Amino acid sequence: MLEVCNIDTFYGKIQALWGVSLRIDEAEIVALVGANGAGKTTLLNTISGLLCPASGSATFLDKRIDGLTPHYIAELGISHIPEGRRLFPVMSVRENLEMGAYTYHAWKRKEETLEEVYRVFPLLKEREGQLARTLSGGEQQMLAMGRGLMSRPRLCMFDEPSSGLAPRLVLEVFKVIKTLREQGITILLIEQNVKRTLEIADRAYVLENGRIVSEGKSSELLQNNHIKKAYLGL
Amino acid sequence: MNLVTVLDIFIGGVLIGGIYALIAMGLSLQYGVSRVLNVSHGEFIMLGAFATWVLYTSLGINPLISLVIVGPIIFVIGYLLHRTLFRSLFKSSPSLPAFEGSSLLATFGILYIIQNIAIITWGSSSKGYTFLASPVNLGGAIFSANRLLTLGFAIGIGVAFYVFLARTRMGKAIRAAAQDPDAAGLMGVNINQVLALCFGLGTLLTGLAGVLYSMCFSIQATMGLGFTIIAIIVVVLGGLGSIPGSFLGGFILGIIGQIVTYFEPSLSLAAYYIIFILLLLVKPTGILGK
Ligand SMILES: Nc1ncnc2c1ncn2[C@@H]1O[C@H](COP(=O)(O)OP(=O)(O)O)[C@@H](O)[C@H]1O
Ligand SMILES: [Mg+2]
Repeated sequence: MLEVCNIDTFYGKIQALWGVSLRIDEAEIVALVGANGAGKTTLLNTISGLLCPASGSATFLDKRIDGLTPHYIAELGISHIPEGRRLFPVMSVRENLEMGAYTYHAWKRKEETLEEVYRVFPLLKEREGQLARTLSGGEQQMLAMGRGLMSRPRLCMFDEPSSGLAPRLVLEVFKVIKTLREQGITILLIEQNVKRTLEIADRAYVLENGRIVSEGKSSELLQNNHIKKAYLGL
Repeated sequence: MNLVTVLDIFIGGVLIGGIYALIAMGLSLQYGVSRVLNVSHGEFIMLGAFATWVLYTSLGINPLISLVIVGPIIFVIGYLLHRTLFRSLFKSSPSLPAFEGSSLLATFGILYIIQNIAIITWGSSSKGYTFLASPVNLGGAIFSANRLLTLGFAIGIGVAFYVFLARTRMGKAIRAAAQDPDAAGLMGVNINQVLALCFGLGTLLTGLAGVLYSMCFSIQATMGLGFTIIAIIVVVLGGLGSIPGSFLGGFILGIIGQIVTYFEPSLSLAAYYIIFILLLLVKPTGILGK
């Protein structure tokens, strides 16, 4: 479904990604694991078009997407739920959700999608008219996820959706991600909680200093000694 | 000071306030979304006014019809200006503050280019025409019909524009882009198009204000800069980035201007600056600002 091939991405003169390759198949959950500053967010931003790779290619559903602008990539069916939520603070909950359905194909079905999203996050319906910035951290994350689903995406990329949340809400986030997979949505997941992430993911990539250092089935990575030491604290 | 004088001042302020409201909304949009502090903003009120004057005096076209002729032309000029000049400045700027600096300088250039072309074409003397100048009595205060008409149109345009921002798909995209351009892009908003659109809508509102202004007052090729300054003051008064604030602020400044003019006409511009400085010191976020 998504094929990233030998991507190099720079911030000015500083190289942040070095020959990164990654593949995601339809209906998979793929995890991207790595320490702070490894380049996980940079990779997601490169896929969604916020950053333009200096070399390499990215292909989504047989279309080249590297170098395209974000709005075009969104239209193809990739939803990027960015790090730090990035809600529209002085728009209401409902307007934030409507913005999630901005693409042409999603706008036509936005009322129907809204009902579906409200079914997953009933709390958002109660808060419908409230400004996004007045929500609590947990509610904001629910809104960010709901907004990401409003485009009826083929591929959802989550960048640390549970960061800063209370343990009970972290469980909630993982539950939602499982539900999405059951609905056939393909997922690329970045998470701080490596153990839990590897438990729900089918496969995973490990990123260190801008390079992929290992990849494989999650169950195998959970047994890998380097992973155990560096990320699972065992 | 009797009641009629008070009414006179108040209504006079509201009448000119409608014009201020439109130009301030335009500037607010250009700075709030497109991030261009447009010093040439007032030149577009001048262009709108002169275009209307030319159409009326040489072709006999009704100024109200000029609204729908001049408006779209000025919109396209603003849109293309952003797509070409500001887009390439944006691409070559290493950061947003750098872009704000270089685009500010560029708008100074635009100011002088437009103003000089206008002076060469129309000279620097005052121009004007009479349109619906019959007097109307408002509870003792007397105003010409054209001023009431322009107020009606200014309010109508302002409200229509607010509804556009609040209710339509494109209006929501504009507000989203103002709050977080990257996130708006991820939602599928074509950011470059929205930035150019906002710049064009800014010149449109100002151009329309120019059409309305020419119906009531005499116009000069050098009138632009004064309006730019007024627009900047109103935008700060109303709260940076708040469209309703700019709208309301226009009327407030209009009334203050009339009060000062009543006591000492030569002080009205000085009074605007004093208000501006006091505001920056006391409440820099403006009346409706966060
Ligand atoms: N806007 C930026 N400008 C310059 N360098 C950046 C920027 N964003 C991230 N970086 C650098 O790129 C590297 C990767 O960062 P990031 O992708 O945010 O890592 P992660 O998401 O894995 O924590 C880090 O060294 C970081 O300092
Ligand atoms: Mg990150």
